[in-house]
Amino acid sequence: MDKNVAVYICRGCGIGASIDVDALHRVAVEEFHVGICREHDCLCGEQGRELLRRDVLAGVNAPVIAACSPRFMTEAFTWDGCRTERVNLREHVVWSHEPGDEDTLMLAEDYLRMGIVRAQKAELPEPFREAVDPTLLVVGGGVTGMSAALGAAAAGHPVVLVEKAPALGGWMSRFARQIPHRPPWRDPAPADVETTIAQVKADRRITVHTGTTIERIAGQPGQFDVTLRRNGDRTSLRAGAIVQATGWKPYDASRLGHLGYGRCANVITNVQMEEQLATGRVTRPSDGRPARRIAFIQCAGSRDKEHLPYCSAVCCRVTIKQALLAREIDAGSEAYVLYKDIRTPGQYEDFYRRAQEDPGIFFTKADVEGVEETGDHDLAIAASNTLLGERIRLEADLVVLATGMVPAAADGEAIRRFNDARSVIAKGEAGAQLEAAKKTAESLQHLEGAAILNLEYRQGPDLPVLRYDFPDSHFICFPYETRRTGIHAAGCLRMPADSQLSREDGAGAALKAIQTLRLAARGAAVHPRWGDMSYPDFNLQRCTQCKRCTEECPFGTLNEDAKGTPQPNPIRCRRCGICMGACPERIISFKDYSVDMISSMIKAVHIPDEFEEKPRLLGFLCENDAYPALDAAGLRRLRHSANIRFIPVRCLGSINIVWIADALSRGYDGILLVGCRSGEDYQCHFIRGSELMQTRSANIRDKLKQLALEEERVRLEQLSIDQWDRLPAIVNEFADQIAAIGMNPFKGF
Amino acid sequence: MAEASLVRPDRRFVEEIIASGGGDLKRCMQCATCSVVCELAGDRAPFPRKEMVWAQWGLKDRLLADPDVWLCHQCNDCSKRCPRGARPGDVLAAVRRRMVEHYASPRFLAAWVNRAGFLPVAFLIPIVLLTLTLVARGPLLALGFEKHPGFYAEFFPHWLLIAFYAFFTGLALIAAVLGAARYWKAMRAADRRAGGGNAAAGVPASIGRVLRSILAHDRFAKCGAQRPRRLAHLLVLYGFLALFVVTVWATIDMYVNPSLGIASRYPFGLLHPMKILANIGGVALVWGVVKVMADRRRTGPGSATSTAFDWIFASLLLGVGITGFVTEVLRFTAGPDPDATFTAVAYAVYFVHLVLVFQLLVYLPYSKFAHVLYRTVAMVYAEHTGRHPAVAPLALPAPARARKGITDSSSVLQLVAHTRQKAATR
Repeated sequence: MDKNVAVYICRGCGIGASIDVDALHRVAVEEFHVGICREHDCLCGEQGRELLRRDVLAGVNAPVIAACSPRFMTEAFTWDGCRTERVNLREHVVWSHEPGDEDTLMLAEDYLRMGIVRAQKAELPEPFREAVDPTLLVVGGGVTGMSAALGAAAAGHPVVLVEKAPALGGWMSRFARQIPHRPPWRDPAPADVETTIAQVKADRRITVHTGTTIERIAGQPGQFDVTLRRNGDRTSLRAGAIVQATGWKPYDASRLGHLGYGRCANVITNVQMEEQLATGRVTRPSDGRPARRIAFIQCAGSRDKEHLPYCSAVCCRVTIKQALLAREIDAGSEAYVLYKDIRTPGQYEDFYRRAQEDPGIFFTKADVEGVEETGDHDLAIAASNTLLGERIRLEADLVVLATGMVPAAADGEAIRRFNDARSVIAKGEAGAQLEAAKKTAESLQHLEGAAILNLEYRQGPDLPVLRYDFPDSHFICFPYETRRTGIHAAGCLRMPADSQLSREDGAGAALKAIQTLRLAARGAAVHPRWGDMSYPDFNLQRCTQCKRCTEECPFGTLNEDAKGTPQPNPIRCRRCGICMGACPERIISFKDYSVDMISSMIKAVHIPDEFEEKPRLLGFLCENDAYPALDAAGLRRLRHSANIRFIPVRCLGSINIVWIADALSRGYDGILLVGCRSGEDYQCHFIRGSELMQTRSANIRDKLKQLALEEERVRLEQLSIDQWDRLPAIVNEFADQIAAIGMNPFKGF
Repeated sequence: MAEASLVRPDRRFVEEIIASGGGDLKRCMQCATCSVVCELAGDRAPFPRKEMVWAQWGLKDRLLADPDVWLCHQCNDCSKRCPRGARPGDVLAAVRRRMVEHYASPRFLAAWVNRAGFLPVAFLIPIVLLTLTLVARGPLLALGFEKHPGFYAEFFPHWLLIAFYAFFTGLALIAAVLGAARYWKAMRAADRRAGGGNAAAGVPASIGRVLRSILAHDRFAKCGAQRPRRLAHLLVLYGFLALFVVTVWATIDMYVNPSLGIASRYPFGLLHPMKILANIGGVALVWGVVKVMADRRRTGPGSATSTAFDWIFASLLLGVGITGFVTEVLRFTAGPDPDATFTAVAYAVYFVHLVLVFQLLVYLPYSKFAHVLYRTVAMVYAEHTGRHPAVAPLALPAPARARKGITDSSSVLQLVAHTRQKAATR
């Protein structure tokens, strides 16, 4: 299809009053020989849109709209079969610079040049469309998994539910009763898993495999090839998306020796207490006598830097439930609850009150210092900072440690290391690497066969974990999403939750999985580039098997063949372009985003010679946070230096170093990279993009040294969207610094 | 670090306090709003927050050795402000009741006197004792003690009456002193254990100050929300004191004055100063008790929860007052030669009066009347150890309160803000 570029310049929103639109017209017509270049007072108005529509019907398929930010009026400037390029004259030029100024006009002209070049270079993406299987694989048959299965089945999808244990129900089927989930929120309620199990079994869309594990999952969303294994028998099936609801395991209480666990016979965990309550008797493990004085120690190994740093959200309510049940079993018993803070959110305050009102349940805030045996396996607890205003000793028959929840995915990274070490050993390569691998394999021996999903992914068999070992890729912004497209985490796997929340979470994850299936069927990306039809092309003839793309992709998109050549899986891809930024051979490109395209944009800018005293700076802005932040700054009319030219990038991780080299050799005086916050508390939409850019900036410094340029000419900044007020200051400060350093000596070469 | 103290939660004691009127105590979440709003709590060991947690945990030993529970006059500002509805004011009242029962000797008497179910027994004791005395009256009369014939003295001679009540009230006094001493010791032992309790003022001086305070009801006056209760209590107190003085004077008049050569004027005429005092006292007592009872009948967050402990004592006072007046009226209306029916009715009323007086005086260490004892002891102890400074720390002087538009202690936040502001400007 021939490309037909046309330029439309809007005079509205103060653009016409601030800059000489005729000069822009001349740039389009005289420099780029664009066939159609029209100006209009209000392009997004009825007349303006009609004008555009007629041109599109007449064959324009690459319109360049020089008007407002692409974040506005997107629908108005979108036409089927057309690729619209937007030049942000409003927010980034007239709203943030001196009206009528020469520099403002130069900026507008450069942005128009870049826009036209990009329109010329970019192609309309053709979606990668293949048959997508509607089946949902749900891993884990607890309340979360069952809820996901029921939700997906209700939405009309076939579901395969796999449970490792011989029966459905998970943790909840082991508990005598659960915390209340409806008014009056006061008394423990029946666990009520049986109803859900019966519903699952009765649903003809759901196939249940109990006592079954997953031997392997290959492929990509829409086309996962799954092999199940049950007592040595294998079953193969195809699934479109996966909900992993493998839940939690109790925190390893053997690490809680300071609270008496393992040292004192009558110190047990809340899980052991559940088992006791289910039998209808609460006894001392040491002698089997009834436990009449039961002390609960809250946050045992939770909210503790040495152990789990987070709050498991349910232990307070579980303890309240257990105390009430113990008192119900034996009215002569007493329960003492030693807490850091009682956390009973919302209506659960009434549940707390219910327990408080019981004369046999005693609450105090306390820092538990230790638990000791006093003889005959009786226990004494020492605690300070109590509500009694003093250090206390409390005697008990039984101590229950309210241990927290560890996500069942917590071992993911270690399993990956173990597998990697095993493959190194299998290859039999000699040397230090082999020794290290042997050591790793030995120390992680216990993880043999611990993988849950057994993904055939280059980056390991299970979901990668992030903060606190949860596999959720961004808890706040992208619930249920993980770093493996089409595999969605739900329930206690992604956050500590009670059964009610887990059920809701299961349904939510099922909907998310269905969304993934629908998008995959259209060949479109899931979040954050939702609906994006582009995907990376690999020119593999020129691949040197350096493996940087396969290693750096945050989503494990790429597998490798035996030689190390990447094997693309377009449906796994989130279209961030980090592989493109990583590739030293520059063989990876998108139809509408490529190394060549950005390089051409960089080169399209007019660089004044060194005698004009007009330095030129180049800025790369992350599309997700930094770009809208600059829009917001413009909206508030904050001024920034007119010497900088910004290029939006999908992610800072997609920046190929060649662009920096190009810019410096072209005569730009400084380069500013603005991305999202990296690190443990990252804000990067692609998890590692911003972090990778930091790593790569070491290479950039080397490059600068080679060119005998000052390191300060390239600066990396981290900014979140709400820090828009900082951005102009960052730009101006950088501009001042570059002015102080002086002009780039490569100008004009 | 301070030595850890062994804490033995006592569920039964918790249940006892709940049964004694502290039904909501377990709701407390230790926010300390109560201690902040209390005008009477000092800054060194403010109450009732700490009492609430002790009560929740059933820490009997601490509560029973705590002077602060008696420093509370149950204005229930705290109960009104409590965000959890734990009613600290009522809990302290329940603890006080438990304390009376605990320090009583013999203890079973306290149980009988304060429980509605045991009321027949509590009545039966004076009835039996008085009847036995009346039976013994005949033979005793032969001994020739009778000197002051009169209408009621025909029925129950004065000397016998005085001997009877002096004996039993004396026993009660011994029980009271024992209880008070045990309480004092417990308080001192608890303070010593905690490394405190040093004397800040001499005991006699402390007693003097406390008596002045009681007579003026100045602490009671600080109870913001329940100000009318102070007047009611003053009426009862002074009414009772007046009647007590008259009774003592009557005894002196009958048995001491003659030996000093002063003619006995007993029985006093209506215009005798002592009779006038007695009548004023009686009216004050009845009026005060009626006010007290009316107050106790009110409900609402700021009103006290009343139990049998409170009602029995108040009813007793009212009963004594009313039967006293009726007895008096009958005496003055009886002619020189009343008929048998009139006499029978008058003697019956008098008998009831005597039974009630017995209950009031002899049961003092066991009933709510014991507050006279324990509250005084606690106040003296607090004064003696300097436990509570005279002025509560957050209370502004009255003019400042008025200036700030603060009308009751509920405006604690305003007070805090004001205090902070003052500190800042300083």
